[in-house]
Amino acid sequence: MPPAILIKIRKYLRPDGDKNAIRIRRRRKLIGALWASLPSVIVVLLAVGYLWMLSIPFPALGQRTYIDENALQPGQVNTHWNWDDVHRADRYLEALEQLRDRNASSVEVADYLATEFRRAGLSADTQEYSFFTTNGSKTGVNAYATFSSPRASGTEAMVISASWLSRTGEGDGTLNLRGVSTVLSLAWFLRGYSLWAKDLIFVVSDGYLEGMQAWVTEYHGVSQPNLQAEPLRLSSGVIWTALNIDYPGHSFSHLGVFFEGLNGRLPNQDLINSFQRISLYTGGVPMLVYDHRDDVEILGLPSWTPESIRDNSELKEYARRAKNVVRHVAYQARGQASGVHGLLHQFRIDAITLFAVPATGPHGFHAIGRIVESTLRTMNNLLERLHASFFFFLLVGPTTFLKIGSFLPSAVLISVAMMFCGLQGWVKAGWVWMLDEAQATKDEKVHKRVGNGRWSRRQRPVLKAVMVMAATHGLGVVVFYLLTRSWYLHNSTVAPLLVSSLLAVLPLTSLLLLPKQPAQEAPLPVMLKSLNLCLTSTVISILSVLNFSLAAVIAFLTGVPLCYASSSARSELRIAKYMAYTTLAFGWVALQRYEVLKAVANWELLGVWFAPFMCIVYAPLVLQAALVCLLPSESA
Amino acid sequence: MKSTTVHRFILFILSVLLLGRGVVSNSEPAAPVKQFFEKHGARESGHTNNWAVLVCSSRYWFNYRHMANALGMYRTVKRLGIPDSNIILMLADDAACNPRNKFAGCVYSNTGNYLDLYGDNIEVDYRGYEVTVENFLRVLTGRMDSSVPRSKRLLTDDRSNIFVYMTGHGGNEFLKFQDNEEISAFDIADAFEQMWQKKRYNEIFFMVDTCQANTMFSKFYSPNILATGSSEIHENSYSHENDYDIGVAVIDKFTHYVLQFMEGINKTSQASMQDLFNTFDPKKLDSHPGVRSDLFRRPLENTLVTDFFGGVAQAEVVLPALEDAIVEPEALEPETKQRQSPTREVADTFVDPSLLATGWELPNASDVTASALRQHGGPDVDYTKLMVAAARTEIALKEPFTSTLRAWASSLLILALVSWTTVPRNRRPSEH
Amino acid sequence: MDFIVTFPALVAGRLVLALSPLTHYLRDDHLLSSPLTSYSRLQEGIYLFKHGIDPYSGSTFRHSPLLLSLFSTVIPLNEVTAAFLWTASDALAAWSLVRIWRARQNVSSSSRDSLIAGLYLLNPYTFLPSLGQSTSSFENALCLLSLMLACQKQASASLLALAFLIQLSLPSILLLLPLLLLLISEPTSHLASPFFFKTDIRRITPLAGQFAAYILLLSGAATLVCGNLNWVEKTWGASLTLPDLTPNPGLWWYFFTEMFDHFRPFFLIVFSVHLLIYVLPLCIKFQHDILYACYLLLGILSIFKAYPTLSDPGLFLSMLSLFPETFPYLHHPIVTALLHLHAALLLPLFHYLWLNQGTGNANFFYASTLVFGMANGAALLDSIWAGLRIAIGEVKEEHEVLQE
Repeated sequence: MPPAILIKIRKYLRPDGDKNAIRIRRRRKLIGALWASLPSVIVVLLAVGYLWMLSIPFPALGQRTYIDENALQPGQVNTHWNWDDVHRADRYLEALEQLRDRNASSVEVADYLATEFRRAGLSADTQEYSFFTTNGSKTGVNAYATFSSPRASGTEAMVISASWLSRTGEGDGTLNLRGVSTVLSLAWFLRGYSLWAKDLIFVVSDGYLEGMQAWVTEYHGVSQPNLQAEPLRLSSGVIWTALNIDYPGHSFSHLGVFFEGLNGRLPNQDLINSFQRISLYTGGVPMLVYDHRDDVEILGLPSWTPESIRDNSELKEYARRAKNVVRHVAYQARGQASGVHGLLHQFRIDAITLFAVPATGPHGFHAIGRIVESTLRTMNNLLERLHASFFFFLLVGPTTFLKIGSFLPSAVLISVAMMFCGLQGWVKAGWVWMLDEAQATKDEKVHKRVGNGRWSRRQRPVLKAVMVMAATHGLGVVVFYLLTRSWYLHNSTVAPLLVSSLLAVLPLTSLLLLPKQPAQEAPLPVMLKSLNLCLTSTVISILSVLNFSLAAVIAFLTGVPLCYASSSARSELRIAKYMAYTTLAFGWVALQRYEVLKAVANWELLGVWFAPFMCIVYAPLVLQAALVCLLPSESA
Repeated sequence: MKSTTVHRFILFILSVLLLGRGVVSNSEPAAPVKQFFEKHGARESGHTNNWAVLVCSSRYWFNYRHMANALGMYRTVKRLGIPDSNIILMLADDAACNPRNKFAGCVYSNTGNYLDLYGDNIEVDYRGYEVTVENFLRVLTGRMDSSVPRSKRLLTDDRSNIFVYMTGHGGNEFLKFQDNEEISAFDIADAFEQMWQKKRYNEIFFMVDTCQANTMFSKFYSPNILATGSSEIHENSYSHENDYDIGVAVIDKFTHYVLQFMEGINKTSQASMQDLFNTFDPKKLDSHPGVRSDLFRRPLENTLVTDFFGGVAQAEVVLPALEDAIVEPEALEPETKQRQSPTREVADTFVDPSLLATGWELPNASDVTASALRQHGGPDVDYTKLMVAAARTEIALKEPFTSTLRAWASSLLILALVSWTTVPRNRRPSEH
Repeated sequence: MDFIVTFPALVAGRLVLALSPLTHYLRDDHLLSSPLTSYSRLQEGIYLFKHGIDPYSGSTFRHSPLLLSLFSTVIPLNEVTAAFLWTASDALAAWSLVRIWRARQNVSSSSRDSLIAGLYLLNPYTFLPSLGQSTSSFENALCLLSLMLACQKQASASLLALAFLIQLSLPSILLLLPLLLLLISEPTSHLASPFFFKTDIRRITPLAGQFAAYILLLSGAATLVCGNLNWVEKTWGASLTLPDLTPNPGLWWYFFTEMFDHFRPFFLIVFSVHLLIYVLPLCIKFQHDILYACYLLLGILSIFKAYPTLSDPGLFLSMLSLFPETFPYLHHPIVTALLHLHAALLLPLFHYLWLNQGTGNANFFYASTLVFGMANGAALLDSIWAGLRIAIGEVKEEHEVLQE
């Protein structure tokens, strides 16, 4: 005789009666429960997603960096860069300062650099280029030199580069003279080694980003319609690694690492981690993420907050990491390169910028030379490409990072919530709860299981909704076309207002154009919302592997608004909601004029697809939600 | 012709004589032989020759230390008297001439570059991608293709003491071979058993330096094997020191200390294996080396280090009764000659260059191939035959003209087919 | 009604696209053309053939010899002719699809004609491979042509079209049995009212004989072109032995790159033979509507073929428009649609991450092909469900249809 509880369980699992009837009953119960709990599930998913985003800087989520590739062996070499080399760099610096003082032209500077490279015994050459954008043309001259590896086949290469303009102020005119001197002196020095398994290429690019773009596209034989550049006469192997040296100040206290590339591509983390170790242990220079000095008071809390909170080390650490994360997202989401290195990423080159954070001391040419030497020796050890799994990371501190599994779910959870919400809308559009009295009251829950009503099918206006969506994306294309015209750039005060007002008004016409829908059809807003949420969710989850920051920003901005967009009975409320959503969709056209110009310039110059993405994908998606709010919900 | 018949005759006479003697004194010589080997009691290993199999199963520059480990052992066994002909060295060998090597052509196992292990007297038997699990097992078991040269074979017998040394990256009961495949502890145990059954060894000393090394000999079950390893299960083995000029670790701790001990040994040394094992210090090694002697019959105190590391064998003045055995090598001579002759035949089957010229369209090709043949000799024959065959089929392949003709024919055929299927069908509706 | 206008307009639009330089970017895309259908390889083969070298002696060329003879004689293959030819083949396919629709509805024209043609000509899964000039467009056209002719009871022509199709792609032989049955039954929709197969099944024997004759004749023609039988192993053999592991959107390639060599023959047999097991059950279950069985088999082929391209699922999805009566009974159309949306975005993205940007590896792309397989599987299973469910019709409230 089995115990009673077992019988109970068995009875529960296999009750008497028709098996199929039980199956149906159980399934209906399950579906009913799922349907009833769906709204709360969506809320929970959204909440967890947003909280996860906020908790990314928490120390608990991060982990210590490590070197994944055995071959690298960072910091295990004696460096031979010495005071002679420092003196040479000083002499170069004097010469470059003279060039600067007499306002030498790009051609003169490049010729001087090429001559010096040749004097060092390298093959050197210059490259002229000019870019033509709607905002005028940019010209310049690059100088570069190659050193063939004495004992290897020369199929692989490493690049040591410096741009003429420093990244300080994103190329606002601060010169990178010390960086260039370092490259020149390194060319002399590194040539003396015979142990390079890869060729060395020294590049001094003109301007801030454009010079390197001209050089690197020419090197890889890629033509860009708006770029005219001399073909490179010297060539070498496939470039694996590149170090870009940016040393604008007199001396430095820390070396900052900048690593974001175009369109959100990141270099392999092993490069950054190796550099961190080498910088600290070989050069004695602590590494920073960007130029964020960790000794600076960063919390910025008002003085009335209690000491215990202001001095809380956990909170400080959180703030420190949050600062890095925000900076990272700002670069990556906009697809911007945080330095010259970022241009190289488009050709599968792992590259970083070493930024000598200006300070009164204690380091100078001596430290940076040794660190670059040692880093190059480490990269020279590579036998194969760095492993594919080390490209997805979020560097929250010099020695701490988040693995993909620790940050990706934040955006994906919001996207899943949106998908659930969209599917819920799909069901709502296809089925309606009809009361037997044929009077549809709003409150479904009361009637759901009580009885005197039933689900009945109605038609979904799928085609109409898809057409509306296509129209909004078409509008996005038009906006993008307008933003890239030269009259827009030249009238940067009037044009944005014109365009944004056009954008605010144009969708209103949809009210007039839409025909009355038949009564047995679901209201268009319901259908539109459902498809809009499904599409947005797909965009976010797909984007999260390509450019997490952008996906996170989009998820952050659209998650709640799109899920809770709804039409209402009162038309004033509808208009107000519509205006709010339109502002979210296209507000940046009027409010962020400088950013728009920069994004368009980046698109034309460097092929950053942030501008077209915002115009053609993001804004239309939000606009669809705006239309959901605008369109009348009742078919009457 | 004549000389070979004479040789054969002599061979026949000699073998008959030998056979007759063998039958008469079938058991008689065994006794002195036994006596000879057992003269020194259990202390003697009873071996007459020494062999070493040294395997570095890693490749790539950052595994420099494994190369140095194996080369260090190589230097030691060679110094103690095992000739190159008795050493099988398996080495990826990409360290010495690596462009990353600051000291081109040299491999050092110490910082300070005291001793170049590579030098100019190195004989690597299995190099680069030849270092595979299959080749290693073939070396041990002796199952070789007949074309493998003697220098790549382990030509041991039941009087051979073999020192097997392995180093590389390993784990629990496996050792990786060049990041590509792995050998398991069972594989090696089975190979040793096969060697035992085929009387390919007298005693084996197995030494392995890798992570979790002791697991590698845990599966052995054949007699007369002494084994030692650098670390226990779930324990790493560590490198000893870095050379900051070379930029990588140059040797592993375990091997380093073994080699340090071996530096104090010479050919006449009476140091025992126990002395070697006593020097193992877990503190210095950062791991717990293991010794397995349950399969080994002799006490370790009585086992000389040179029984395995040195080419030292006991020699004694041969008694007259055994003199006839010396005839044997002479008797073998014609036989080896016979063995060689097939290769000579291969060399004779050169393809006539004129034959090539007929089938070859390029003007200088025949000269090139002919000269290539002359340089490379026999083994190229097959290749040239292939080339001739290829050239012929190409000629046999008709001219472009005929192929166009055939293509047209096929097109027409298809056209006919299509019209045939469509035309009759048009009539069918009228039948309705 | 306005089919006369829209169809030429659609075709003209497609022709403009085909003449644009877009084709150069799409030509060597792994998603759009497989080693068996790639335009570049076809050109290579024709070049070799014209220079008197057996194109089948290497391993690049795996197209049918009939294409060789076509392009080396009647039609020279260049940019312009190719654009016209591929557009024409798509137009033929779309036209066939419309004719099948008309035959199924038993009308001479309908208001849905333009929609159906549009669904084929504008389906990205079919028009991108066509822009990339993958010969899989020809396969689709031949397949639809063969079905169309079968619907119109033009047995010889239909069987010949199938024989051509099999010359181009061996796995399509699965269609033989349903096509023969279709020839002796009606194409009109009987999904809602199933019945046992009425016609004498023995009538297919002469048709099968005729088909065998065509196959032999075409193989003979192919052998005549080559002068030897190498082509059999290189073209037909490729779909059975998978010699080329170039990535494609199918499920085979990754599985066989990871396979230990000693298991390879076994799994090759399993993968190839498993395709056969679907034919009979589907033909029996849908004996009342053989066209639907053909449609489902095409879906199975698009998932499990050795060298699929996007145009195989494209054909399947475009054919969905022939069966609007099943739409109300689809279980989860939104899920299928979303899976396809995800897959369509993930496939090129992960391909790019793996092979261009280098931040991903083959597993990424393989994962996206799995999503794609799931999307196609969802579409197929839902089609099977709807095709069977329709026979039960609307149920009264509180009743439900269960699958046992």
